[in-house]
Amino acid sequence: MEIMIGQSAGVSTVEPKGRIDSLTAKEFGDRVCALIRSGANRVVIDLANIAYISSAGFRALLIAGKLAEESNGRLVLCGVVGEVQRLFDISAFSTAFQIYPTREECIAKVQAG
Amino acid sequence: MYGAEEVPPPSVLWLSAVQHIAVLGIVMVFPVLVARAAGASPTVAAQVVSAGVLALGLGTALQALARGPVGSGYLAPTGFQAVYLGPSLVAAQAGGLPLVFGMTIFSGLVEAALSRIWRPLRPYLPPEMAGLVVVLTGLVAAAIGIRFLMAGQGGEPASLADWAAAGFTLAVMVGLNLWTRGMLRMFCALIGMVAGYLVAVWLGLGSPAELAAIAGMPLVALPRFDHVAWSFDLALALPFVVAGVAAAMNTSANVTIFQRLNDTEWVRPDMRSISGGTLADGVAASTSGLLGSYGLSTVTASVGVIVATGVASRKIAYAIAAIAVVLAFLPKFAAVMVAIPGPVVAGALVFVSCFILIGGMQIITSRMLDARKTIVIGLSVGAGLAVLMFPAAAAAAPAWVRPLLDSALVTGTVIAFGLNLLFRLGVRQRVSLELEPAGDYPQAIQDFFTQRGKSWGARPDVIRRAIFGVTQLTEAVIENCAPQGRLTIEASFDEFNLEVHVGYHGELLELPDMRPTEREVREAEDGVRRLAGFMLRRNADRAQSARKDGRVVIHFHFDH
Repeated sequence: MEIMIGQSAGVSTVEPKGRIDSLTAKEFGDRVCALIRSGANRVVIDLANIAYISSAGFRALLIAGKLAEESNGRLVLCGVVGEVQRLFDISAFSTAFQIYPTREECIAKVQAG
Repeated sequence: MYGAEEVPPPSVLWLSAVQHIAVLGIVMVFPVLVARAAGASPTVAAQVVSAGVLALGLGTALQALARGPVGSGYLAPTGFQAVYLGPSLVAAQAGGLPLVFGMTIFSGLVEAALSRIWRPLRPYLPPEMAGLVVVLTGLVAAAIGIRFLMAGQGGEPASLADWAAAGFTLAVMVGLNLWTRGMLRMFCALIGMVAGYLVAVWLGLGSPAELAAIAGMPLVALPRFDHVAWSFDLALALPFVVAGVAAAMNTSANVTIFQRLNDTEWVRPDMRSISGGTLADGVAASTSGLLGSYGLSTVTASVGVIVATGVASRKIAYAIAAIAVVLAFLPKFAAVMVAIPGPVVAGALVFVSCFILIGGMQIITSRMLDARKTIVIGLSVGAGLAVLMFPAAAAAAPAWVRPLLDSALVTGTVIAFGLNLLFRLGVRQRVSLELEPAGDYPQAIQDFFTQRGKSWGARPDVIRRAIFGVTQLTEAVIENCAPQGRLTIEASFDEFNLEVHVGYHGELLELPDMRPTEREVREAEDGVRRLAGFMLRRNADRAQSARKDGRVVIHFHFDH
């Protein structure tokens, strides 16, 4: 799995590509958590290029979301469409995360606090 | 804008009904062509049209019935069908109108009988074949329209005035459909036909004999049936059986379009509505033959109008039936229909063929297609086009095969049916895969189900769910259930079900009804495992986990 990390207007953007499963979830979760611990605790994760997310991937997202919350930061998601949207629905986690349609909307929401 | 169960205001209801009658007017050219081929006078041609109008009113009303064995429950206007054109022209030349009427009754009975066994027949007439019938109908509609212009009604090349009238009719319909809203868009086909008719008559394009027949007809009179007689010819049975099958597939495809239009969460055809629609269709066709007219079926051009305008209330069907009964008592109406100038018909046919073609292509691509299905569809469309382009070659064929080559629709459908049967021989409905836990199992699962899905012609969304289910299951088993040896996956498919069984030696993976809490997923040792089981249960339509003969077997059922 490839993970692109960037900065946009004071907000960290994380763009994983490929699959978030038991083989890749640990690396993905560790990278996002390290980012939050380094002080960049306002994070947008763009899942537009994710083809598959398993229960292990949801655990990584939940841990990162909890860490952001504890450090007074914020973690929001975009790119939750098609098959990934369906997987959020069957996991019943669609409402556990703040999800917006576009990355720009995510950044605006995170900046607004 | 108005779904099947909604009731539009009276103005929209009645104008929609009038518009549908006008669209059905486009296909009234078929019985006129057949009557002319049988050497009938404009008066008899008008009687054939009147009798058919009465039958189509009955057929449209039957289609709208939502309860009981007859009817699809949708606004599915019934009219003269292109599938009957080729066989009916042959019958008209061989035995005159009585043979056309007799064979039409036979064809309707075949369709009615098919409607009772439509469900078990479905694997042999898969959706991509129904889509193919719609595509061929669209091609035939466009080709007849263009032929009117290229060859004229009397065999003469089209004049500048012909092109102008056809172009004007088409331009009005397209312009109103694309650049207006509300009533103008809703009634684009009706307005285009009336405007085109007026311009064509103004340009002097009406047939003097047919225009004179209009003047000679009384305004109101009882329908006349003195032209009615029936005969049967065994030599023509096969093409009329094919016409009945094609009509059933046409109606099956049309009803499927209505189901999708009226249900945004549509996933699979409702067979009650399809077989009720097919039975109503067969009854309508037989009634038409009985009353002395040409074969009827639901009209894909009308489906095009309903999709283009979004007005699908089934109450409109009863308004159409009422208008049809009234029209059957107005001989001048039938005479006006017989006299619609060819260029106006051409413009209208080309307009509606756009929506028919795309509707058919959407049905074809709603399924996964492998090389076999691609070849079935490609060769059948090619054969249909060849018949349209080279009718002389069909005329030169041996007599016994000629009835199958007289119509692009019949040729294409027969070839598709035969090839589909032939190619089914090599398709295994039950397949298996063994997975090495240490291997690249996600790719192996993806490839396995994608290839099988294509050869089965399965719906892509069902195959995606199966891929997720088996991948997530394998992942959860490897991480949590200490599997020994390989995992075996068995999948079996028919048109209605996809069953997947995954077996392994190891600990049982539970499929809980309740999701673990967020905290449990984050912190509990078995949180991820329980979440995986919960997702697997929700991913399939039915899921079961059990231990059998020392092995764990997990069963997923997916409705198809």
